[in-house]
Amino acid sequence: MNKKALIYIEINNNIEKVSKEIISKINTLSNDIEIDGVVISDEMTIRNNFDELKQLKLDKLYLIKDNLFDTFQTCLFANVLSSFLKENNPDIFLMGATENGRDLAPRTASTLDIGLTADCTELQLDENANLLATRPTYGGKMMATIISKTKPNFATVRPGAFKENASAAGLPEIIEAIPAINGHEFLIEVLKCEPKPQIEDWTCADVIVAGGLGLKTKENFEKVYEFCQITGAKPAASRAAVELGWAPSDIQVGQTGCSVCPKLYIALGISGAMQHMAGITNADRIIAVNTDKYAPIMQASDTAIVADACSILQNMIDECTVNR
Amino acid sequence: MSFKILVCIKQVPDTDDIKWTEHNTIQREGLESIINPFDLGAIELALKAKDMLSKSNVQAEIDVISMGPPQAKQALMTALALGCQNAFLLSDKKFSAADTLATAYTLSQFITTKIPDYKLIICGQQAIDGDTAQTPSSMAQKLNTAQITNAVALQEINEAYSIWVQDTKSQKRTVKSGFPLLVATTLKNIEKLPDINGYIRAQKTEIKVCNAEEINADKAKIGLLGSPTQVKKAFVPEIQRNTTLIENEPTNHCANYILNEIKSCKANNE
Repeated sequence: MNKKALIYIEINNNIEKVSKEIISKINTLSNDIEIDGVVISDEMTIRNNFDELKQLKLDKLYLIKDNLFDTFQTCLFANVLSSFLKENNPDIFLMGATENGRDLAPRTASTLDIGLTADCTELQLDENANLLATRPTYGGKMMATIISKTKPNFATVRPGAFKENASAAGLPEIIEAIPAINGHEFLIEVLKCEPKPQIEDWTCADVIVAGGLGLKTKENFEKVYEFCQITGAKPAASRAAVELGWAPSDIQVGQTGCSVCPKLYIALGISGAMQHMAGITNADRIIAVNTDKYAPIMQASDTAIVADACSILQNMIDECTVNR
Repeated sequence: MSFKILVCIKQVPDTDDIKWTEHNTIQREGLESIINPFDLGAIELALKAKDMLSKSNVQAEIDVISMGPPQAKQALMTALALGCQNAFLLSDKKFSAADTLATAYTLSQFITTKIPDYKLIICGQQAIDGDTAQTPSSMAQKLNTAQITNAVALQEINEAYSIWVQDTKSQKRTVKSGFPLLVATTLKNIEKLPDINGYIRAQKTEIKVCNAEEINADKAKIGLLGSPTQVKKAFVPEIQRNTTLIENEPTNHCANYILNEIKSCKANNE
């Protein structure tokens, strides 16, 4: 074991799912690298998550504890993390591209004057265990594989890009690290904070039914919800449908929306622009319904049904209501 | 002395016709371009800040900065027409092919050498071409200032501090910080459009062009040489599955096919 990968384990009340997704992915890349994790948090939060932390599939887990870390502060966390990285000196460093991650990662990279690849959807190692990080660019029209000349090779990973292997457990050696707090931090004063209602994570539901422009009207799109109500599937939408105001952006699938990983993805009237496809590569099975046999989504599906999505949707609803 | 507000903007391609250079970077010259939509949000917030400050008798001045080829002057002209006072273009062959770290270094080097007395910097959170959202945070670090990202509104500003509304997926926060401060905004839709008088004023304003030497840039930290990340491969992904095509089937057959797939998906789970 000469090479070492380090993963930033983000905890906001609970361990962020993307942190676990990164651990699962990196464990599949090589048997020859050491895989470690680092947590920056307060005593209480670490204690509340300890049962889960101690079973993560890692070789070592570093806990950087201080009660100052009970709320995320970009500058403070970036300084603490940078000092830790200088000392720990990993070859690869990965973080989830969460809201906080997207703040923390560039500030940390800039402190260390190292490269950073944002929002990756694929990770590979070359023959020397250097990181090859692939991300969508140009609004998802192209993919770019990026290498970094600096160590650690640093990348943030898009939530949902990889599947969490929940059955893989480890027994990491737990090491408490002393935070380097240099007293000169820019703290932002939070005057008011209104948490938004937590939307249940629907991105890995068994069945997702997504609607696009081919549904023609908002009224037809409403039927996606109706169908999901009946079948217990989760509704989703293409960017075009969201931009027309047929659906809220929370349920948008694609490069600028969510990445999904259902067992079955049903695309109704979605043409399958690159940016949409970027969000569904992890679906086990894809059924597309489109009047255009040559729409890009048709070649990228397991089953392509050439038909009018509105009629099919209505027919399915009728069928379900009759059989009830 | 007036209260200095800086806005950083980027000109981005507005076309699907993307050409790559031998270094696997974007061939920018000859491409149809627009101001990055998030940067229009930044200009709007800067104008609001100036307006709010003037109401409390603080005179503010907005300088707009861009890094890019000479044609990026167009973007700066629009910014001037919208109401910014001064415009600077960082343009030098040596700056080209910069990644986010080299870009953040170049912009912050310009600011520390030419406009060190700034109070507030406003940037668009991300550019629509790269979507990395890295440059603002990276720049704030280089300038050693506080940062507020995901900003959507300015609530209060005076000479001592400003209060902003941050809007993210999980929460809406009202936050306060003193100066110097860097704010990154996710606003895209702007209310104000440049008018004819704005364009006339812009025509009369000289856009100052700066090269690497004029900002005392360290050659090892700019452009391709100063960029630790490099595109190894750029490609259009091919997503191929072994597709079964169903066509010319009655609607109810197709509907039943999908319903059965859903059922079997659920049955496998039980």
